[in-house]
Amino acid sequence: MDLSEAYLTLWSDLDGVFSMALVSLVGLIVVVVDAFRNDHPSLPWMGAAALLASIGWELSVLGDAPGTALFGAVRTGGFAAFVNLIILVSGLLTIVLSVPYLDQLKRAYGEVYALILFATAGMIMLGTANTLISVFVGLETMSICLYIMTGLVREDEGSIESALKYFLLGAFSTGFFLYGIALLYGATGTMVLPEMAAGLEASGSTLLFWGGVALLLIGFMFKVSAVPFHMWTPDVYQGAPTTLTGYMSTASKASAFASLILVLFYALPTERWSLVLAFIAVVTMVLGNVLALSQPNVKRMLAYSSVAHAGYVLVGLTAASPAGYAGALYYLLVYAVMNIGAFGVMAFLEWDGKEGREQTLDSLAGIGFRRPALGASMGFFMFSLTGLPPLAGFTGKWFVFAPAVNAGLTWLVFIAVLMSAVSAYYYLRVVYVFWMLSPEDVPEAAEAQNAAFPVPASSIAVIVACAVTLLVLFVLSGNVMGFAEGLFEEAASMASMP
Amino acid sequence: MLWAVLSIFVLAAVAPFIARVTKQATGWVLGLLPLAVFAYFAQQIGPVADGTPIRQVHAWVPSLDLTLSFYLDGLSLLFALLVTGIGTLIVVYAGGYMHGHDQYGRFFSQLLLFMGAMLGLVVADNIIAFFIFFELTSFASYLLIGFYHTDEDNRQAARKALVVTGGGGLALLAGLLLLQQVTGTMEFSEMLALGDTVRAHPYYTGIFVLVILGAFTKSAQFPFHFWLPAAMAGPTPVSAYLHSATMVKAGVFLLARLSPVLGGTDLWLYTLVSFGAFTMVLSAWLGLRYTDLKQILAYTTVMVLGLLTMLLGVGTSAAVKAAMVFILVHALYKGALFMMAGSVDHETGTRDVLELGGLRSEMPYTMAGGLLAALSMAGLPPLFGFIGKEVTYEAALGAGPIGIVVLVASVLANAALLAGALVVGIKPFFGGEGSFTRHPHEAPVSMWLGPGILATLGLAFGLVPSLVDQTILQAATGAVLQSPYEFYLALWHGINAPLIASLVTFAIGFALYVQWARVQPSGFMQALDGFFGRRPAAAFERGLFEMARLSQWTTRRVQDGTFRHYLLTVLSTFVVLVGSSLLLQTNIQWPTEVLGVRYYEAALAGIIVLAALVAVRTHERFIAILALSIGGYAIALLYLLFGAPDLAMTQFTIETLSIIILVIVLLNLPGISGQVSLASRVRDAVVATGVGAIITTIALTVLSTPLDRYVSDYLASRSYTEARGHNIVNVILVDFRALDTMGEIGVLAMAALGVYVLMRMMRQNRDTPEASIESDDKVLTEAEETA
Repeated sequence: MDLSEAYLTLWSDLDGVFSMALVSLVGLIVVVVDAFRNDHPSLPWMGAAALLASIGWELSVLGDAPGTALFGAVRTGGFAAFVNLIILVSGLLTIVLSVPYLDQLKRAYGEVYALILFATAGMIMLGTANTLISVFVGLETMSICLYIMTGLVREDEGSIESALKYFLLGAFSTGFFLYGIALLYGATGTMVLPEMAAGLEASGSTLLFWGGVALLLIGFMFKVSAVPFHMWTPDVYQGAPTTLTGYMSTASKASAFASLILVLFYALPTERWSLVLAFIAVVTMVLGNVLALSQPNVKRMLAYSSVAHAGYVLVGLTAASPAGYAGALYYLLVYAVMNIGAFGVMAFLEWDGKEGREQTLDSLAGIGFRRPALGASMGFFMFSLTGLPPLAGFTGKWFVFAPAVNAGLTWLVFIAVLMSAVSAYYYLRVVYVFWMLSPEDVPEAAEAQNAAFPVPASSIAVIVACAVTLLVLFVLSGNVMGFAEGLFEEAASMASMP
Repeated sequence: MLWAVLSIFVLAAVAPFIARVTKQATGWVLGLLPLAVFAYFAQQIGPVADGTPIRQVHAWVPSLDLTLSFYLDGLSLLFALLVTGIGTLIVVYAGGYMHGHDQYGRFFSQLLLFMGAMLGLVVADNIIAFFIFFELTSFASYLLIGFYHTDEDNRQAARKALVVTGGGGLALLAGLLLLQQVTGTMEFSEMLALGDTVRAHPYYTGIFVLVILGAFTKSAQFPFHFWLPAAMAGPTPVSAYLHSATMVKAGVFLLARLSPVLGGTDLWLYTLVSFGAFTMVLSAWLGLRYTDLKQILAYTTVMVLGLLTMLLGVGTSAAVKAAMVFILVHALYKGALFMMAGSVDHETGTRDVLELGGLRSEMPYTMAGGLLAALSMAGLPPLFGFIGKEVTYEAALGAGPIGIVVLVASVLANAALLAGALVVGIKPFFGGEGSFTRHPHEAPVSMWLGPGILATLGLAFGLVPSLVDQTILQAATGAVLQSPYEFYLALWHGINAPLIASLVTFAIGFALYVQWARVQPSGFMQALDGFFGRRPAAAFERGLFEMARLSQWTTRRVQDGTFRHYLLTVLSTFVVLVGSSLLLQTNIQWPTEVLGVRYYEAALAGIIVLAALVAVRTHERFIAILALSIGGYAIALLYLLFGAPDLAMTQFTIETLSIIILVIVLLNLPGISGQVSLASRVRDAVVATGVGAIITTIALTVLSTPLDRYVSDYLASRSYTEARGHNIVNVILVDFRALDTMGEIGVLAMAALGVYVLMRMMRQNRDTPEASIESDDKVLTEAEETA
């Protein structure tokens, strides 16, 4: 291929990677502007504008046929647009929630927003990757930004410790990941996911291949915080600034899972890993839920709950059917909405005027009556996380569990349902403390009552919008699910064609 | 039907706003919609009684067979009429009862939410829609029980109800999903014909247990009976509606709905009859222990639920008929009695029968309704309750070998029920003036109308059973039996066995009532209550507590915060996952001969091994680091020997850098202190060996894989022809990978920018701290001066 031709292709592929390009570009601009106008208040809104524009763009290409861009490095079309929408919307909500929150923490650094944008670009690359190289580049771009965001509050030892732990374990997982990529390349002679099966057949190096798959899976399990690679999760979720925790727990999980789905769907024959995933799903759900039971701190509880939810998504993946993958995508969307909302609520309730104080759930007794909008929204999020109708959390669980049942994994779904029942205990406890206890019942709460933190209307709007979205997604679950399933059926039928 | 259900939900959403406008009249206004829906369902009696169930389907998630489908046969119609009919009266009643409460609007909202959910539950055809409504009723009940949330007991009661019924609901979901697997359909209406398939399937026992768990928790069967009396903490209209007339019957409804599918086996018969009968007798007697009107009514509700479960377990035509009749009987009198109890409480401030008495003159209308309902509950002729009891005995007599057990249990329970009914219906109104402080008045019309209507219906249906028997009850019985079944109800059947059983019941019951003042505080009753009334509830609380402790213990074990342990877990998992992945392969090709190893290569390898050993064994951090970097340098030399000078260069640089950094860090760290136990050393050794073995295996396999020279040949052949360069490395950097290089330059530029910003910040920081020191000095000097 001629070089000029290659450049032309890059140019013409730009519409396929519009969001990634725009978000990275604006991220760079934010860095440059921040260098000269330190922490200027317009920085977050530049980022928000870029994300909003990208959302608009992705909506317009939602119906496109699947394809690839940049010489097969990333996927385009409906699947990519769906994943990107989850990531971009999470990013946008996070920025809107973070501005007042970080202001209050006196951490309104301009680079935070650049980091969010870079992380978003990395997630987009990860979630739409078509080659192992893209997976790796996206993963690292995202992870490095997240490490820094975790340690944002530099004076806080907990924050620093969690960032360091996150970085070290993350670096470890990267090592596994790279090793796995190298082995896979050695075994198949290609980095392109859809070509791997054919490459494996040609070379016959199954040993290298399966070793590589195992290593790659370990890398992914780290990123989605599945047991036993979840240890960083509680420390990081607790140590990071709350709104950013919401971002980490949703967007990064969504993109890592999307990438895993692409790897599984395009590159891996099914018979082998399904059982491994099922096993990981079981320990993830059990441990996540059991540990979440006794957490007095809401953020830590949500961290373990996010471990448990990774398990639920894995249940959908074990089905290895279009419906299972589509269910996982739907679940990730719902999870993003409810978790960003929950962390958003906590961001505004944890502030009691005293920095660094351990925030227990009990100290929020009766808060629902003082902040009805936040309290009622939190109720929505908790009920949805439990998986109770009529909220989208229910249909989400249904869409990941039903395909697993259809795939004959009834025992797995049985455990999943049982664990959902356990989860009701700690989720509903939040609602209980918010609405049923009164501050007089809990000594800690009485002390925290005087602290007043003004919650800006924009944040309330975002949080309430998340809550309402859960209802809407429940009602429209058929349409969304049908769309998501169409993506995989289309791709599957294309793949089966000679 | 979709609109009937939806409209109630919509009304629930807007109820608080309506309440703000309509004030005292809210109950009357909001009652109009349930009344309209009742009328709608009442119109369906004709067609449904003719034997044609109505089915309506609305698509929802077609890809997963999820539909919003509704199925109206006799059974669901009976329940739909109860839900909307009694619901209307309750809404009107609540308008009077809750008047003046500051959360007036919220109450109606929750009440209507429940009504919508309950209506949806009984008419749903799709199992998932059914489950959604099922859980929604649990949730609404949680909100309503905890309505007076300022009291700790109420909150505990609400939690109990939610955990028990919600958890049971999840078991039910699992059961329904299995049922779907077996039948291949999600619609109840289609399952009904597939009973033989299900009963013969190996999953049958599993399905049965799960469904039964759902039904027993919801309908408060032993050993889950404890949540229902506790749920009486809710406002009285709630108790009347949810915890007596409708919601708690959802479990019974489920059993009735699925009895064509799951019923008819020995497992079904013995489980339902034994649990039902035991619950029935136990709770009927427990009811006599209490003096709170609502507690008595609550236990007798559990008793009726046990009776219904037992009858559905028996499953004969007569038994199903009796169950359907009793559902109607019970809904009529129990709804009325709860409302009566609420009115009494409202007017006098107490519900304790020991403190009540002589209200007949102050509250005549309430008394009339309450007494009539209580007589029906007691099963005295000519009220509908008498018919209910007669058909129960008739069913017991026709139940075959277990009939005698059923009959004795029914008589024992009904006798206690009769005594309880008389306590509730007579004590508050007759006898001397009670010891309450407030001066009672007659309740407002909204509060005596409901009980009055229900009690009158109890009388009317007793006198003229043909109002209901040929239509709705017959249709309901037919729906459960899945075949048309004709019957007539009548007060008088001549002198037969059921009548004799009734007479025995009356005798025991009246005796119990007369002796109630002695029976109630007796040691036997206390023991009974302690063991079956309080013990299960305490066990439940204990279970929750233990669960939290287990969780704390696991947290300490698994998440101890030590990085070393995290790493150990990760590496062990790596060994297991990758190791098993490798072991499953049979075609590992080990190199059989070692060729051409030169002496200095072997020496380097020896140095690496030695360095690793030293690093592991030493107690000095410094020596460990030194040993590690010696190993690293040796590896770099190996690279050099095998013709990769660039790689060797990189390795040298990295090693040098890391040793410098590590030494700097070391200066701030304490030495390796303390002995590590042998066990953990062995554990570490095992994991380390495992990791080493896996990496070695992979490395050897890679060696045995033929080298693909495609890329290097490609670059070598194209370098000159395409890019006119003799130095391949240069060509690769500036031509083949020009874009990468450009990206790297971009990265460098951004890094430079970062350095610039850092330097600028350092300059600023250097300015500020000095300033602050100055000011500190100033403060100090000032302080000294003032001193």
